[in-house]
Amino acid sequence: MSLTTMPVRDGGARRVTRALRFDPMAWLGILLLLLVWELAACLLPPAILPAPLGVVRRLCSEFLSAPDLSYFGLANASLLGSMTYTAENVLLAMIVGAAFAIPLGLVTARQELIRAVIDPVMMTVGTVPILILAPFLLIWFGVGRASAVLLVTFYVIVVVYVAAQRAAENIAPVFEDYAATLGASPRAVLRDILIPATIPEILGGLRIALAGAWGLEAVSELLGAQQGIGKIIEVLAGATDAQGIMAALLLLGLVATVCDGCAAWAIHRLTRWKSSTPVAGA
Amino acid sequence: MANAVQDIQIRHLSRRFTRADGQTVTALDDLSVTIKAGEFVCLVGPSGCGKTTLLQMLAGLLRQSSGEIEAQGKPVLRPGPERGVVFQKDSVFPWMRVIDNVEYGLKCRGVSKGERRERALHYLERVGLMQVAQAWPKELSGGMLKRVAIATVFANGAEILMLDEPFGALDYVTRHQLHDVLLDLWLDGEGGRRRTVIFVTHDVDEALILADRILVFHSGRMVEDLAVTLPKPRSADDLVLPELVNHRHRLLQHMGLIRPAAAKPGQ
Repeated sequence: MSLTTMPVRDGGARRVTRALRFDPMAWLGILLLLLVWELAACLLPPAILPAPLGVVRRLCSEFLSAPDLSYFGLANASLLGSMTYTAENVLLAMIVGAAFAIPLGLVTARQELIRAVIDPVMMTVGTVPILILAPFLLIWFGVGRASAVLLVTFYVIVVVYVAAQRAAENIAPVFEDYAATLGASPRAVLRDILIPATIPEILGGLRIALAGAWGLEAVSELLGAQQGIGKIIEVLAGATDAQGIMAALLLLGLVATVCDGCAAWAIHRLTRWKSSTPVAGA
Repeated sequence: MANAVQDIQIRHLSRRFTRADGQTVTALDDLSVTIKAGEFVCLVGPSGCGKTTLLQMLAGLLRQSSGEIEAQGKPVLRPGPERGVVFQKDSVFPWMRVIDNVEYGLKCRGVSKGERRERALHYLERVGLMQVAQAWPKELSGGMLKRVAIATVFANGAEILMLDEPFGALDYVTRHQLHDVLLDLWLDGEGGRRRTVIFVTHDVDEALILADRILVFHSGRMVEDLAVTLPKPRSADDLVLPELVNHRHRLLQHMGLIRPAAAKPGQ
């Protein structure tokens, strides 16, 4: 029979591996950017545009302890300490937001009545630029962890809610019918059909939320906080320390990129079954 | 040999839908028919004639508006593993490997790991897919996915198998290969007893090759009940035999493809 000779396609896996591997062209782009930066830094005064090597050196020297920063009365006077504070807040907001949004999105996809109540609320929150909430949260919760975490949590909830809801809506009804005709109980349908079928889209939503969360957390720290990368940037901006700001930004960018890479890898591992290539004919 | 309790009894079965514009559509109109145990029945008719509606009600996926269906002595109220379905769309779960798909129904009913693996591998071999047991469904072609679905319903041990235009989207060669696979499995039976097969198709030739009995539907009514006596397995070559030619002519007439006057022009 001709079946034995049919090659087994695995285009999806190959494509993802390629995306994870470092592309020489991408490196060329980054190199080009550094070159332009270096050249521009030669022409401009360091207070306006610090040279890249100086920024990296600053990042290294202030990574574990930064005596300069302690003059500003910061609790964690090092880049590592501030970054840890910011990362903790982002993680907390992701967990709380996901714990709310995933069940809510899945339930509203099936329960019209609940959806009619929740959807308008989510859509309103989703349309208003979420940063506008920052002053209110600062009034209500002060400059501690709570305001920043809450702000990011709202954002995570809106993004993940829509992703989870769409995921549940997009399951082809044939899978549930098929499972029922094979003898699956409603509980088995939930465990073996609804959850695995929605995981890829929910994880995708979480990844998008995570990418946005870093920026929101940093900006909300900038607007009022006592610690964090955003706070560091705020005090350094007050001292017009461009090099310090760049060093803090570089660290934030690196951490966010590494986290996104880890998320992409985890998603790839968990959704190996998913086709990323169009399905061929018979 | 055939036990009346094992038959499928359909009495005065109707199904009406309300369309979005408020009009009532009768998809199936007062159908009464008995399908004997072990029979291979094809439901034939143009699209919208009610054949898929009937199949969904037999599967327990759709409730009737009136009338009753009895399968194996019990009224059909909900889906159950004794009535397996191969759907028109691909229904193989993409998040399970092929072997886990074939085992799934058995797993749901608590069959032990070793036993269900053995059954699943047996049927995968019968449909010629041993070498892809550990593959993901995305790595399979459309025809192979249908083989997986067939292996799954056979492995699950359903007494009644329903197939809803299963091969409609496949090419000519694949379709005929799958006819052979299906007939092979059906002719063998399990424990010496053949399963009842209800096969929905709009392809007249497919029905002639597969069926013991062809029920023709038109606008929600059964308009013809043809017995096909030619022994099986049959092939596409057999379509020129007189019995099948006659049946084919009648079927095409019912589908409005041959008008009695146009059949012999000039007379």
